[in-house]
Amino acid sequence: MPNISDTKTYQMKRSDEVQQLGSEHTEYTYEYAPHLLETFENIHPQRDYWVTLNADEFTSLCPKTNQPDFGTLIINYIPNIQMVESKSLKLYLFSFMNSGEFHEDVVNKIGKDLVALMSPKYLEVVGLFYPRGNISIHPTFSFSNGEAKYDEIEKHRFLNRNINPQRIG
Amino acid sequence: MDLGKIAVIENTVIEYMSPELLFLAHSGQPYRGTLYIHFVSKGESVDLVDLKKYITSLRSCTFTAENIAHEIFNKIHTAIDVDTLGVIVDLSARGGIQQRIHFGADFEPVKKQNIFQVSPH
Repeated sequence: MPNISDTKTYQMKRSDEVQQLGSEHTEYTYEYAPHLLETFENIHPQRDYWVTLNADEFTSLCPKTNQPDFGTLIINYIPNIQMVESKSLKLYLFSFMNSGEFHEDVVNKIGKDLVALMSPKYLEVVGLFYPRGNISIHPTFSFSNGEAKYDEIEKHRFLNRNINPQRIG
Repeated sequence: MDLGKIAVIENTVIEYMSPELLFLAHSGQPYRGTLYIHFVSKGESVDLVDLKKYITSLRSCTFTAENIAHEIFNKIHTAIDVDTLGVIVDLSARGGIQQRIHFGADFEPVKKQNIFQVSPH
């Protein structure tokens, strides 16, 4: 790891890590595109901390009726080495716009993509979808890397879901 | 697409609201917003199924954000005869800037909570 106490070194490192952030031309894709996701290095691996990402503009299509679905996604995770870069996450989430999937499948798919991308210590994805036919669906995906501490967190949050989705802002 | 019309009692004050407005900016970035339509009936209103389909059809249309309220106003205005039609679109913030676009008659939109959406706060 470079000496990140030096501002210039830090800025160069972050600049080299991600391509889409700050790009003069952003390409928007409306079909599922997990390759858009980018990571940067967690430079505080010695301590565990939570990262929460709120996405209020998630939309996809119903695979049966082709009608649009809308929802808020809340992503909470404890990083290991890699962390997801938020602009790439935005573009990735936009790529579901013309994808037809059930709410439960979307949330699990996003959870699995983020686990594959980052290998986090712990990660959860909560989907708060707008009602259709008077019923709103709120699936929750959770993952632990198998270490006892994170297994304990996953178990606790699994058993206590809906108490606190940990939304910020 | 055309909006069909239905007969309603004259002088009824009607307000439609949808938090599911989506269209594309010229950059290609999707814009999300909440749509408010307000008017006084002169004996007719729009068919709600058609209105839903029309709103959905905007997902693949490109607009300058500031023109979206006029687009919707014009669509309704050409479909039905009403008094004091107004359209307001509250767009989600982009680059830290929140936009409200208003075309037509003045009105104060009633912001209704979606009672089925469990508050994440």
